[in-house]
Amino acid sequence: MVVRQYQEELKYLEKINDYCWRIKKGFQPNMNVEGIFYVNNTLERLMLEELRNSCRPGMVGGFLPGVKQIANVAALPGIVGRSVGLPDVHSGYGFAIGNMAAFDMNDPKSIVSPGGVGFDINCGVRLLRTNLFEKDVQPIKEQLAQSMFDHIPVGVGSKGIIPMNARDLEEALEMGMDWSLREGYIWAEDKEHCEEYGRMLNADPSKVSMRAKKRGLPQLGTLGAGNHYAEIQVVEEIYDKWAASKMGIEDKGQVCVMIHSGSRGFGHQVATDALVQMEKAMKRDNIETNDRQLACAHIHSTEGQDYLKSMAAAANFAWVNRSSMTFLSRQAFAKQFHMSPDDLDMHVIYDVSHNIAKVEEHIVDGKQKTLLVHRKGSTRAFPPHHPLIPVDYQLTGQPVLIGGTMGTCSYVLTGTEEGMKETFGSTCHGAGRALSRAKARRNLDYKDVLAKLEQSGISIRVASPNLVMEEAPESYKNVTDVVNTCHAAGISRKCIKLRPIAVIKG
Amino acid sequence: MFKRKLKALDYIDRDKINANDPQHFRKLVVWLEDQKIRHYKIEDRKDIRDINSTSWPETFKRYCEDVACPITTQPVDQLEWLIGFAIKLEFEDNYKKYQPITGKSLKDMNKPVAPNIKSSNPLDNLDFHSAEFKNGIEELRKLLCIPRHSDHLVTLQACSKIVCMRLNAETLLNPKSIVLKGKEFPILEAELGFNMGDPVLNNAAKILRLLYIQDLRDLQTRINETIVSVQNITANPRTDTKLGKVGR
Repeated sequence: MVVRQYQEELKYLEKINDYCWRIKKGFQPNMNVEGIFYVNNTLERLMLEELRNSCRPGMVGGFLPGVKQIANVAALPGIVGRSVGLPDVHSGYGFAIGNMAAFDMNDPKSIVSPGGVGFDINCGVRLLRTNLFEKDVQPIKEQLAQSMFDHIPVGVGSKGIIPMNARDLEEALEMGMDWSLREGYIWAEDKEHCEEYGRMLNADPSKVSMRAKKRGLPQLGTLGAGNHYAEIQVVEEIYDKWAASKMGIEDKGQVCVMIHSGSRGFGHQVATDALVQMEKAMKRDNIETNDRQLACAHIHSTEGQDYLKSMAAAANFAWVNRSSMTFLSRQAFAKQFHMSPDDLDMHVIYDVSHNIAKVEEHIVDGKQKTLLVHRKGSTRAFPPHHPLIPVDYQLTGQPVLIGGTMGTCSYVLTGTEEGMKETFGSTCHGAGRALSRAKARRNLDYKDVLAKLEQSGISIRVASPNLVMEEAPESYKNVTDVVNTCHAAGISRKCIKLRPIAVIKG
Repeated sequence: MFKRKLKALDYIDRDKINANDPQHFRKLVVWLEDQKIRHYKIEDRKDIRDINSTSWPETFKRYCEDVACPITTQPVDQLEWLIGFAIKLEFEDNYKKYQPITGKSLKDMNKPVAPNIKSSNPLDNLDFHSAEFKNGIEELRKLLCIPRHSDHLVTLQACSKIVCMRLNAETLLNPKSIVLKGKEFPILEAELGFNMGDPVLNNAAKILRLLYIQDLRDLQTRINETIVSVQNITANPRTDTKLGKVGR
């Protein structure tokens, strides 16, 4: 590891424009490509402060600062283009959260890294619309929040209410949302409006350990803990009237439901298992990285392929999970309003994954290439007319769902041509942590956090109040800063802003 | 799979033939050579007639070369060519017998003799390029508000499309079923994704994109309908609140 003074480090960073910085080669050893990160003034301060703190003598342990992690990823074998840090970037295991990196599938040295996907495989956001308006919901907001809370089990160790046995799980892992469709939990249109149509075809449940399946089985249809939530939201602002209308959003005040969840313990176990395998593979194939946490394997090695197949199974798990919660939310609304979900027009607007690795076609230096794109805390944002986005969004670009933190705003963005060129069609995923979990627990009191939410008129149901401070808005970067940076940098466009009126949380 | 062709050749086992069975395959080849193709002299057919020999595939390969079969991919494809070849030879031997048989004469043959009404399609006697005809199309076009194409027959095609799609008995009764519902979208301001440098060309490309999106929407709708019809059979969503457990 290079040890340098903060001022020395800054020489390797260059501000290209108001929203974009370049990380030059040499910032970390063996960088194959340059790094880039997107920040505005506020986020820039946070980012550089993190770097400065790490340069102080005696700073050891903990994660490396985000900038360093972006540069370490740029040193991985087979990386093409640039290692990209999105505005919500913060330190994570190996890869920073909010980092995207693409590897050439036709380069035999290229790698796949579980750290580049994250432990919560296919964590993502789904947005349902309704034809209700705020005035319809306000009078029964508390009952509705309670009804959602009763339907969707939340918290660490929660168990789902959809009966499943081991065989159902095997099928669900292979079929993804097609399983939910077959069993009748969701609508045909839900599949249409989901990344990958809710199913990764290369999923192979036989590559998944027994342990992962045991952990996953009772957790299907549960929200989980941490930053996951289900929120009832209202449209606060519409920036792009036409794109919003394509999504079925007509006016301010319209009510939506946002579900933010992932593959629960299942994905975590798949990632853990893979890391063990990959450490062995790295030794065998002499793969060198700057950071031990960047465990990886050649894409075409057995370990690499096994990981991709089990990751796909975990991705399918997450889609079934979000689909089950879609079903349960529809039930909760139907009960409260004594109307069918159909009559409430509760369609899925879109479903995005922000922790995943996918094989995609991109243009690199004027040539079409097949890449393995790692997006960790980064959302795919494909431009209008891209063949992989639903027909309904061919003119607007792919909807990108950005979940804020508990009690703050969320956004819907759309993908752009510029993003396709600059960031391999990727953008931010949420607010991004500013305080570590431990620091948040020390600095904040959960009673204050809950009181503040109540003051702003947000009904809240939580399973574990004493963990709420970790997720308080103060622990995060401001999502509006993050989204505005993406918009200003042109890598995605603002479309809709949503404000929560009820939160269900682990 | 070659039933019709084998019927034409009067092959007895044509209904039972399975070209993937080596015995069937070899028998048929020998029959074709013996009865129809007769490329080798009788005394030279020894090898090909020995259908149980292990070297038969070699013999077959050589045979194909000898009759100049251009196909080299699959034996089954070669067999199909051989059958076609046999038919060609058969026709050439008896072309006088086969020549008068045309689609029309066959139809006449099969027609019941009694009500011999001459089918007189009035369209057959029309002159599609007469001024009168062109004027008629022009009138029709104006009536249906269709833009004119330099080729009047293309204009007629457009008219026919409109009439078939929107003016048939069913849709006239229920016009809403065909009128596309949807919200306006400023397509001409939307991004095209590429620039051809000419605004007229760009607009044309946008219109092509719209047509493509409409096709895609139809396809997706049909996919969704199929899924729903399958769901009617398979769906059985269940919940059991007793299983639920809220975490800490």
